[in-house]
Amino acid sequence: MNVLTLEVLWNRLLSVVNEQQVTLMRTAFSTVVRESQDLACGVFDSRGYMVAQSLTGTPGHINAMATGVRHFLKAIPPATLAPGDVLITNDPWLTAGQINDMTVLTPVFFEDRVIGYFASCCHSPDVGGRVYGAAATEVYEEGIRIPIMHLFRKGEPNADLLALIRANVRVPEETIGDLYAQAASNDVGARDLARFLEEFGLHEIDDLGDAIIERSERAMRDAIAALPDGAYRAENWADGFDDQPVHIVVTVTIAGDEVTMDFAGSSEQMANGLNVVLNYTHAYASFAMKAAVNPEVPHNDGAFRPVHVTAPEGSIFNCREPAAVAARHLMGHMIPATVYAALVQAMPGRLMAGGSDALWLTVWRGTWPGSNRLFTFSNFQSGGAGARADKDGLQTNGYPSGVAGVPAEVVETWAPLVMHRKALVTDSGGAGRARGGLSQEAEISYRGDGRWGVSTLIERTRFPGNGLAGGRPGSLGRFQLASGEKPPPKRLVPLPRDARVQLVLPGGGGYGDPRERAPDKVLQDVVNGYVSLEAAEREYGVRVRYIGGPERLVRLPEHYVIEPDG
Amino acid sequence: MAYRVGVDIGGTFTDLILVRDATGDFTVAKALTTPDDPARAVAAALEDALSRAGVAADEVAQIIHGTTLVTNAIIERKGARTALLTTAGFRDALEIGKEARFELYDIELELPEPLVPRYLRFDVPQRTLADGSTAQELDVEFVERLARELAAAGVDAVAISFLHSYANPEPEHRARDAVLRVAPEARVSISSEVVPEIREYERTSTTVANVYVQRRTERYLADMQARLSGLGFEGALRMMLSGGGIATPETAARFPIRLLESGPAGGALAAAHYGRAAGIRDLLSFDLGGTTAKFAVIAGGEPLLAAEFEVDRRYRFKKGSGLPIKTQVIEMIEIGAGGGSIARVDSLGLLRVGPDSSGADPGPAAYGQGGTEPTVTDADLVLGYLDPGFFLGGAMPLDVDAAQQAIEAKVARPLGLSLEEAAWGIHQAVNEGMAGASRVHVIERGQDPRALPVFAFGGAGPVHGYRVARALGSPGLLAPQGAGVLSTVGFLAAPPAFDFVRTWSTPLEGLDSARAERLLREMEAEGAGLLGEPVTHRREVDMRYVGQGHEIRVPVPDGESWGGGLRAAFESEYSRLYNRLGPAGVPLEITAWRVRSSGPRPELSLNVRGGAGEARKGTRQAWMPEAGGMTEVPVYDRYRLAPGHRFEGPAIIEERESTLVVGPDAHCVMDEQWNLVARW
Repeated sequence: MNVLTLEVLWNRLLSVVNEQQVTLMRTAFSTVVRESQDLACGVFDSRGYMVAQSLTGTPGHINAMATGVRHFLKAIPPATLAPGDVLITNDPWLTAGQINDMTVLTPVFFEDRVIGYFASCCHSPDVGGRVYGAAATEVYEEGIRIPIMHLFRKGEPNADLLALIRANVRVPEETIGDLYAQAASNDVGARDLARFLEEFGLHEIDDLGDAIIERSERAMRDAIAALPDGAYRAENWADGFDDQPVHIVVTVTIAGDEVTMDFAGSSEQMANGLNVVLNYTHAYASFAMKAAVNPEVPHNDGAFRPVHVTAPEGSIFNCREPAAVAARHLMGHMIPATVYAALVQAMPGRLMAGGSDALWLTVWRGTWPGSNRLFTFSNFQSGGAGARADKDGLQTNGYPSGVAGVPAEVVETWAPLVMHRKALVTDSGGAGRARGGLSQEAEISYRGDGRWGVSTLIERTRFPGNGLAGGRPGSLGRFQLASGEKPPPKRLVPLPRDARVQLVLPGGGGYGDPRERAPDKVLQDVVNGYVSLEAAEREYGVRVRYIGGPERLVRLPEHYVIEPDG
Repeated sequence: MAYRVGVDIGGTFTDLILVRDATGDFTVAKALTTPDDPARAVAAALEDALSRAGVAADEVAQIIHGTTLVTNAIIERKGARTALLTTAGFRDALEIGKEARFELYDIELELPEPLVPRYLRFDVPQRTLADGSTAQELDVEFVERLARELAAAGVDAVAISFLHSYANPEPEHRARDAVLRVAPEARVSISSEVVPEIREYERTSTTVANVYVQRRTERYLADMQARLSGLGFEGALRMMLSGGGIATPETAARFPIRLLESGPAGGALAAAHYGRAAGIRDLLSFDLGGTTAKFAVIAGGEPLLAAEFEVDRRYRFKKGSGLPIKTQVIEMIEIGAGGGSIARVDSLGLLRVGPDSSGADPGPAAYGQGGTEPTVTDADLVLGYLDPGFFLGGAMPLDVDAAQQAIEAKVARPLGLSLEEAAWGIHQAVNEGMAGASRVHVIERGQDPRALPVFAFGGAGPVHGYRVARALGSPGLLAPQGAGVLSTVGFLAAPPAFDFVRTWSTPLEGLDSARAERLLREMEAEGAGLLGEPVTHRREVDMRYVGQGHEIRVPVPDGESWGGGLRAAFESEYSRLYNRLGPAGVPLEITAWRVRSSGPRPELSLNVRGGAGEARKGTRQAWMPEAGGMTEVPVYDRYRLAPGHRFEGPAIIEERESTLVVGPDAHCVMDEQWNLVARW
């Protein structure tokens, strides 16, 4: 295909997928999708190769969806599909590794045959089973499992399936509403794709897909080949479940224009729901590699080809059925930082320190005031991101997840909760020439008169996010009640009616020697309360003194000085 | 008092138009913007226009004014030293932001700095709950103490944003009163007045931005009044609002945030105006300058409106990378593409154009100021679309060799293309990029780009308009005359209008229509009070399925018992947007009630003169892929074309500020409004 033609077609296709995503976000019902963008959209060619993905979304969803589509085509051959058919599954081993993720796939009919597919993958507000957490020991406890089947048949909803879902989930309007939104957005994509084909007199997108995939593969290979060959190893620890931490070990082997990320040496598969299917391990490892070596390459089948991901079967990163997997993202999100810690040996002065890594998800459950009506509310929060060689880490910004937080006003409107604080945490960013991003803390209580509880899907309360190149680790996270009591994380725990739940998120790691940080920057950090006076001296060797009155509320930059001997 | 004036203060130029309403006779003037004292340039341009037209200042009845200065003050961080008071525990909402990554793969991601640094953000003891009830009373003494210290420190701009203030504004009122008691000179913005809507980050960001630029705006409006009075102007000064309405300087000074996009709004209003005059009520306004492309959808003769936009996007014009501002704006999509956009070959061996721009200095290689990167303007020159001797009417000779060399070295050779093919690739890539982004935007609004003619203006708009229109599948292209002062025409064509909104969430089922009717009438009465007679009102509601996060705007059906028609109105709008309805049985709710009150639209018909002599200047070699490459293309002098004049493409039509290029299948005609209209 001529490069100038390819250029035009490729641009058009991207616009189609973005259209699909915009529609999904605007029609979704659950706060998870509409506020937090915990979703991904993509277009596939007739063979099921992912050709393009939408702009935002989570890496786990996008990349896992790419492999997932092939399973759909195996289970329900394209020849048996009819216009108006829409397929669905949430099988963890076939798609995004947890039962909460609903993948909805719509074939695109053009000139009476299937020429491609639109798919989206969204975190469902509820799929039944236990309240979302990691406490299950088998996937069967985690909710209703939907094998690959029809969601719509020739435009008609699969009423049996919907009735079954409705009977099994806590918030059927939201769960089913989101499935409708996914189907609607696929429709919009299909409609636009048909127009695109008509305009250019095309009959399918396979050639376009091949051209883009081939160029992506070549660009990815070139980027990998530019790195020095070798095997680079790094390890990392995660809280895991109860007193069983998870050891994460990766060996990144660069050989010519291919790379293999092998997770051998990592912990064994666990009894509880932190297990990761290989699909999902692959998703985050390949995400990290692309972001590290060539972010410009579109994420499609070609970008995956020179990138190999392996993990021993039965290990935490390649679990066997029927392992519990609900909270697999907590481990998946640890992968990029671990990969960077290894890869930085081949790319000194680049990449990003570790940070809070895992997105914090807290699921709140209880009754509305004055009634027996139940509420379930998922709140997302991000801690500090890791520093880059020349840039401080972003404050309260999710890496790698990209999932947006939920405004306090939205939390309090959609659930009988009161958020007493949502604030940055002083000294939470790991010291470094570039400082780690600050984390946040929140305090939440219940304004009902019945039962309430929370399941906290959280990490890094025992093992901090790593620094790089002499940078210090970020601060640890904490989950406790104001009374000092520390309920166990990662499972639904009932709470005293008047409890105040404190969530302190982990901070980002620093990059480079803190003593190399410009004293002026340290001073600024002190003025803004990002760094305390004590930490400025202890970590950075900069003695800052506050010279304003002790009773002052308004403390300006001119009220602080650097001690000359500092 | 027979004259009206429109004036647009842009980043570089201040444009002005003086129109005699009765005859349509007009005079335009241009002056370099004077950022330190913007009124100076306005006065200079006005004096120039008045003297050339032989008109006295006291004959001018009205001056309508729009500007990008407020936006620039935010981008350049030139506002007041501002403090923020929030509900205790939430002073960091402004910095915590959305917690999202707008670009997944970029490790080096950056976000804009908040307008208020952390040391000037204060937790104030106070708490309102989601239902508006009070959990903790405001500590008024604390606010007074804080205000006293702030005043002593010279911080005289204060934003107040308490949680759930949209449900109960009273604590914000009391806090404002407390600040003003001890610091009467302070400027205070409260979130319940600036933007009474849920979501603390966006509301706070907007409130902060409002007070951040308030004093600057006041000063500037006062200067303007004084300067204009000094010239003998006795008429009314009016400000153009981002949403397309017009306000008094007093209102504008209280809510400067509503002026943010008022300059660009003029372009969209002009597109709407010219479209109406030409009998085309639905079109796509396309403004292409040196660095930025702006698209706006005109539907039913009016620009579409949005309730939120972002200012200071740090990053490739990406959504999510700027500061969110919630206010009524003419909905526009901005793309980092323009004449100065740089072309490069990416690691996939594909062409990328923009968003990096060569700016004004060194500018495109063709400017001969030392630029070596190939830009869109360089490509347009190599393709023969621009005349090297007639750029800006000949004021700026272009260097063809430099343009050729840049394209040859950076694009043609790496891609193995001929020079012209490479230039065509650049031209096409930037067109496709703009078409792609605007297509998503248009479809997102439930419109069909294939039904919207493109209205092209700005220095580079007419050069690219034809191909952009073809890429979008548009039925036609309009290129107005005088693209250089188009915004000012838009200002004069806009009726005075005010937008009102009330947030009252209620299920549609069992709607208290008496209360709703009261609410709507209240807003209408307010509008009528401000505008006088005659006045018309447009009623709309924001509706959604219960549980959904995004509302759609639904017109309230006419007639007495409109309540019954709302479901149908919602469903028709919803299925138009999304192709299907939500799950059966999910109830509907109304979240906001809106009224736009408008006065009569001013008559505006410019009396253009010209059209004498032979319009066809000659021919030149230009690239037309339909002809297989470079081909001889007729060149016309726009100033010699007159209404009714017809010709066929391919053609190049030159005027001072721009050049219109159309392909071989275009049938062109100059219409009665002196627009060049191309169809195919």
